[in-house]
Amino acid sequence: MHSPGNKRPARIERALAAGCMALLCIITFANVLVRYLTNASFAFTEEFSVFLLLVLTLLGSVSAFAENRHIRITMLVEKLPKPGRRLCAGIEWMANIALFGLLAWFGYRMALDDFEFEVTSPGLGVPQWWYTVWLPLLSALIVVRLLLMLISKRRVPE
Amino acid sequence: MSLLLFVVFLGLMFAGVPLGVAMGLAGTAVIYFADLGLMSLPTSVYTGIAKYPLLAIPVFVLAGMIFERSGVALRLVRFAVAIVGERRGGLALAAILVCMVLGGISGSGPADAAAVATVMIPGMVRAGYPLAFSAGIIAAAGSTAILIPPSIVFILYSVLVPEASVPALFAAGLIPGILAGLALMLPSWWLSVRNDFGAKERSDGEIKTTFWQAFKEAIWGLLAPVLILGGMRSGMFTPTEAAVVAVFYGLFVGLVIYRTLNWGSIYDVLVESAEVSGVILLIISLASVFAWAGSTLGAFEALGALLIGISSNETIVLLAVTLLLLVAGMFLDAVSILFIFVPFLLPVILHFKWDPVWFGIILAMNIAIGQFTPPMAINLMVTCRIAGIRIEETVPWVLWFLGAMSTAMLLVTFIPELALAVPRALGYLN
Repeated sequence: MHSPGNKRPARIERALAAGCMALLCIITFANVLVRYLTNASFAFTEEFSVFLLLVLTLLGSVSAFAENRHIRITMLVEKLPKPGRRLCAGIEWMANIALFGLLAWFGYRMALDDFEFEVTSPGLGVPQWWYTVWLPLLSALIVVRLLLMLISKRRVPE
Repeated sequence: MSLLLFVVFLGLMFAGVPLGVAMGLAGTAVIYFADLGLMSLPTSVYTGIAKYPLLAIPVFVLAGMIFERSGVALRLVRFAVAIVGERRGGLALAAILVCMVLGGISGSGPADAAAVATVMIPGMVRAGYPLAFSAGIIAAAGSTAILIPPSIVFILYSVLVPEASVPALFAAGLIPGILAGLALMLPSWWLSVRNDFGAKERSDGEIKTTFWQAFKEAIWGLLAPVLILGGMRSGMFTPTEAAVVAVFYGLFVGLVIYRTLNWGSIYDVLVESAEVSGVILLIISLASVFAWAGSTLGAFEALGALLIGISSNETIVLLAVTLLLLVAGMFLDAVSILFIFVPFLLPVILHFKWDPVWFGIILAMNIAIGQFTPPMAINLMVTCRIAGIRIEETVPWVLWFLGAMSTAMLLVTFIPELALAVPRALGYLN
């Protein structure tokens, strides 16, 4: 699907997402092995796996945005004349920025609450903000990526 | 306010905004204007995704891709061809069979369709099948992956409807999944015979394998569904663990037995599966905002009451619900349908005292049909991209498969035991 000479965008996010996926599998598999071999369980790592799921979601979304692979309905848009299509592209772009911008800002306030009230996680007992802070950080990353994509699109007209 | 929720969503959706983002923004708009507290936005996103059962989704996506790349799909195809033989319609039946077996490993329709289309379409073209027919039948058969356990749709449905457990849903999907596959075989065989598909001499020098040779090669792939389903049935693994075991089993087969994988291709598979999972999971997390806003407003109860009010006749309401889901399936993806429709169908299910497991199967069958019915046919998009044709070209063929699978769906609708017999026998129903 991708021509080999073509450098794929968002390389770092891609590598990190792959790392998340690998780590998720290894933790879960280790869990199965340990349970059958020793009768012990480290099910408390569940909360970490679930946190990896969040990171995986947002990182995977970055590369899906970069490659335009998010599920959208383009049936109507494609039938529009050119100005209409450009308007819709603008709406799409602004909607994406708005949503992840809001997530970054309110996610930051959520993490700040966890930090100020010293909430600890139920399983491992670590500060909850270690987990929650990644929602605003990665949302902000998506906003940055969307901005960069707009700039590179301007430079190379399709 | 409830109107705002759906108007904003539909407006953004038709403007080409990604579905998840459209749902997230519609939910946010309602939260803002109804003054429900915007802090619920990050909370809904976080709690919407941070759920243990959801872990199974990326891992099953990865498992499906590993089985494709390691050449398991290819060997299953050779085995299926050895069974049905080279006759008119033979390859079409083989494609359906392989889709069903792979459906027992992967839980996602597009992944299944992609794996089989990559392997089979070139051979089907050589044997005289039109591209449009091949792309259509593989897209349709690939959709059985969400009925034949394991299934991502059932995992999500169970998150939304906790009364229906994942093991019960998996067990209940087995017969309807096979039924759907058989239903597809009838028209594809008949169409092949009538139009003389697959009758061309195969003088392309492809090595003919004997039945036993093909069986020995394919046994590793055939064992995978047994391992996954058996492991879950015996209570050895949770669905997530079964998925991880499938991943490592697939890696073992690819690295040691077939020697088709290397570290580079494993990295590629990790990246690819992370991206596909990101797309699915983002919709789940943002749909949670939509669902939270809708249920806090009471929008879903109102819609549910509206549906119940259509008629006091249970059958009429059931048919209306089915029609609604069928149409929705043609436009939306599986995850969006679950998050938009399940919340307001729940009151209807309770009102008529329908079995939630059986209803989950009906829902999944409608979603499966939607996966290969244009305009938004995610499986068909995948197979058409591989075949290099336009979706419109497949419509004359797809209509047959639509009819066949709808018939299977109606059978399960009116004979609930088709779905419920297996989980009842296994003791999963209370």
